[in-house]
Amino acid sequence: MSAPAPASPLFWRFNPEVYRLIGTKCKDCGHITYPRKKICPICGSLNQEEHKLNRRGTVQTYCINWTTPPGLEPPVPIIVVDLEGGGKYQGVITEVTQAEEVKIGGKVEMVLRKVWTDRGINIYGYKFRLVEEG
Amino acid sequence: MRGKVAIIGVGMIPFGELFEKGLETMAQEAYINCLKGVDKGIDPKEIKAAWFGQWSGGLIGQGTQGGSALASMLGQMEIPITRVENGCPTGSDTFRNACLGVASGVYDVTLALGAEKMRDKPGVESLVAAGGGTGAGMGMHPSWMLGGGGPSIQALYATRQMYELGCTMEDYARVAVLNHHNGVSCPYAHYRFEVTIERVLNSPLVCWPLHLLDCCPQTDGAAAAILCRADLAKKYTDKPVYVLGSNIGMDHGNLWDKHNFIEMLSTIRAAKGAFEMGRVKPEDVDFAEVHDCFTNTELMNIEDIGFCPKGEAHKLLREGQFERDARLPINPSGGLKAHGHPIAATGMGQICEVVWQLREEADERQVKIKNGIGLQHNVGGPGFGVSGVNILSRSP
Amino acid sequence: MAGIVGYGIYVPNYRLKQADAAIPWNSWASGEKAVCGADEDIITMAAEASEKAVRHAGINPAQIGSIYIGTASSPYIEQYVAPILAETLELAPEATMMDYCGSVNSCANALLGCLDAIESGRIEYGIVIGTEDRATAPGSEGEASFGAAAAALVIGKDGIVADIEGAYTYSTLFIDRWRAAKDTWVSSYFDYRFDREFGYEKHVVAASKGLMEKIGRKKEDFKYAVFQQPDERLPGLAARALGISSELLAPGIASILGDLGSCSAFISLAGILDKAKPEERILLTSYGSGSSNAFSLIARDKIEQKKKNLGVTLEKYLERKEYIDYLTYLKTTQTLKRAPY
Repeated sequence: MSAPAPASPLFWRFNPEVYRLIGTKCKDCGHITYPRKKICPICGSLNQEEHKLNRRGTVQTYCINWTTPPGLEPPVPIIVVDLEGGGKYQGVITEVTQAEEVKIGGKVEMVLRKVWTDRGINIYGYKFRLVEEG
Repeated sequence: MRGKVAIIGVGMIPFGELFEKGLETMAQEAYINCLKGVDKGIDPKEIKAAWFGQWSGGLIGQGTQGGSALASMLGQMEIPITRVENGCPTGSDTFRNACLGVASGVYDVTLALGAEKMRDKPGVESLVAAGGGTGAGMGMHPSWMLGGGGPSIQALYATRQMYELGCTMEDYARVAVLNHHNGVSCPYAHYRFEVTIERVLNSPLVCWPLHLLDCCPQTDGAAAAILCRADLAKKYTDKPVYVLGSNIGMDHGNLWDKHNFIEMLSTIRAAKGAFEMGRVKPEDVDFAEVHDCFTNTELMNIEDIGFCPKGEAHKLLREGQFERDARLPINPSGGLKAHGHPIAATGMGQICEVVWQLREEADERQVKIKNGIGLQHNVGGPGFGVSGVNILSRSP
Repeated sequence: MAGIVGYGIYVPNYRLKQADAAIPWNSWASGEKAVCGADEDIITMAAEASEKAVRHAGINPAQIGSIYIGTASSPYIEQYVAPILAETLELAPEATMMDYCGSVNSCANALLGCLDAIESGRIEYGIVIGTEDRATAPGSEGEASFGAAAAALVIGKDGIVADIEGAYTYSTLFIDRWRAAKDTWVSSYFDYRFDREFGYEKHVVAASKGLMEKIGRKKEDFKYAVFQQPDERLPGLAARALGISSELLAPGIASILGDLGSCSAFISLAGILDKAKPEERILLTSYGSGSSNAFSLIARDKIEQKKKNLGVTLEKYLERKEYIDYLTYLKTTQTLKRAPY
């Protein structure tokens, strides 16, 4: 399966989501979603406004993937985060290799990381990192 | 739906790594077995429409399959054929469409056939294709998808299930032990060997907390069913099996829209609708074939379908309540875990098993039939946002 | 003149013992260096350093009129690095994108360019980011010594924590280190002593002396001397030639974090600013590729007031570390790759 390259409209369209974390909040049911949508996926309302996701949150759940696509060395720890101020984010947690390092409810923050490289162009996005105590 | 559709014949081929058989051969063999499965015989020309369940198509090297592909394979050039794809529940949905074809009154006799060829590519490649690779190929940004897909989504649920509901990795392994044990008695199962909890927990990690033996295999297979109007069924067999309810349920595919990670709304919706259609309740069901693509998924499915309250399934499993000779046998065929998961054929294979069990033709894996009602369930698709549930019965 | 309104740095978590990269090639090195994780590079480091600088500065990023990246490790020969940071910082489209590349003196040049832009009135605030993770090859000279880090300075006329009271440049045509477009590592050719005396020492001394003459200051006026630190010996040699006591020198970091290239002097500067008192004077001199820029800075009152908004400090980064081995380093830097099939 060949994917659209970084120099494509797909990636450019996602710049506001990926770099500025702009999602959508439903004015009717309050659900926060991502990427930006015109229709609320929960209640179907058309009353949507832009909402900037917070970069900090707590771990809702996680897993450590050992079967990764070609070009991506395992392990890849995947995480779903409850963001401060609402909304969830699915992504990868960096600087972690063991399941024991992550705890549900633990605090994490987003940091910019290199996510993929294609045709020599790097693709950046936010990954999570454990927040250090103190 | 209830009272309108009957199954007059089913047939399948043994599931497994069928390196010597291509997609076409498997589909033809399943179809031939299905025709033979009609007790009083049927002329293939009586079939007036067909639905072809085929999930992978171009994703893993089979080429995009359309309805015309099945027409050529079966020599059925005079009828309308549609290819159905709806994730892992492709089989359930293929069956559902064939039911709708009859229930609508447009066709008297329809065919549902599911076939999947997964083993022409190495396991990891088809697994990764199922996961969407790095994301851009699915219109997503790599930072949201990276390395995710099938096992990783269920693994996210598995972690949270342990945290919220108190089940353990041993409980997950126990599902594999039971399903493998059932598979030993099923001549159509992919794997026919026993496993122990220890062996499961020592198998390599696929996606923590899921080990290799927590995951269903990559399988080739095909299975089919012929349906007809309920009032015409006795022309073809004295033991028709009737469709009480056939439903598909939705949930969000994106994890950030999910409401929690211990239940799947797709299964909950599909089951609720199917029970309403059939005017029956979970307590009325004698046994069920549920979608155990991963061991933790089976526990979630049992609760989501409504067989027990949330968080109870692993306790009932520990008590042996889901074994073949117990109160509610689950996956007497061995489930996806042992019977295999040739994606589009899986649901159809489960339908075959439910039919054989209800007709009491399941040999040494026969379960006790009390109310004469069996349930079939699949869940999957992007983000596990689709589920299919079919409820079958000995009486209309 | 303008000054530093806020600053921030980033040092990666991972460390490689320099000897681990030298011994396999029958060479010797001591100390250790900071290295990027597999998902880090000059842009991810710059993002974290610059966010901290903006938070410390306490300004609205929309006020930043120009973004300057100073690096010798840009992944692209054609394609800007600055716009990616402009996205993460949420700058206005009117901000100018300035990639200063080609030398480990690049960040110092970027600072000069930023000061010129503010002086001319074209911009109100600028952000200058030095970020380095130079390419190395097995057995190359920098494999043992090149470290990775990023440092960012917000420059402006309001809210200054350290004034920049003067700048001076001294450059000649001199080749010590180079990396050709077709090469994937940095090379050097001649003996250390030639490069040391006619490269580093000559230019650092000339730039520092020229600065002091230009602004009418003597060496006694300075409390701190922060020089480019390719290794821990060179600053001492320059100090001796200038007649400056080695007590003024910023602490050695080259044997802890490695040769940090463009951000070398600025990482050291951050460490000094963390403890400098108001009215203390700092001499800052960079060097790379035959060019040296010298700056004179004076800490102001606001350096105390703004301390609570400082991000993770150099001291904290020196404590926070996790060692990797040479094999992991080769995989992380993509020197060793899995066979494609």
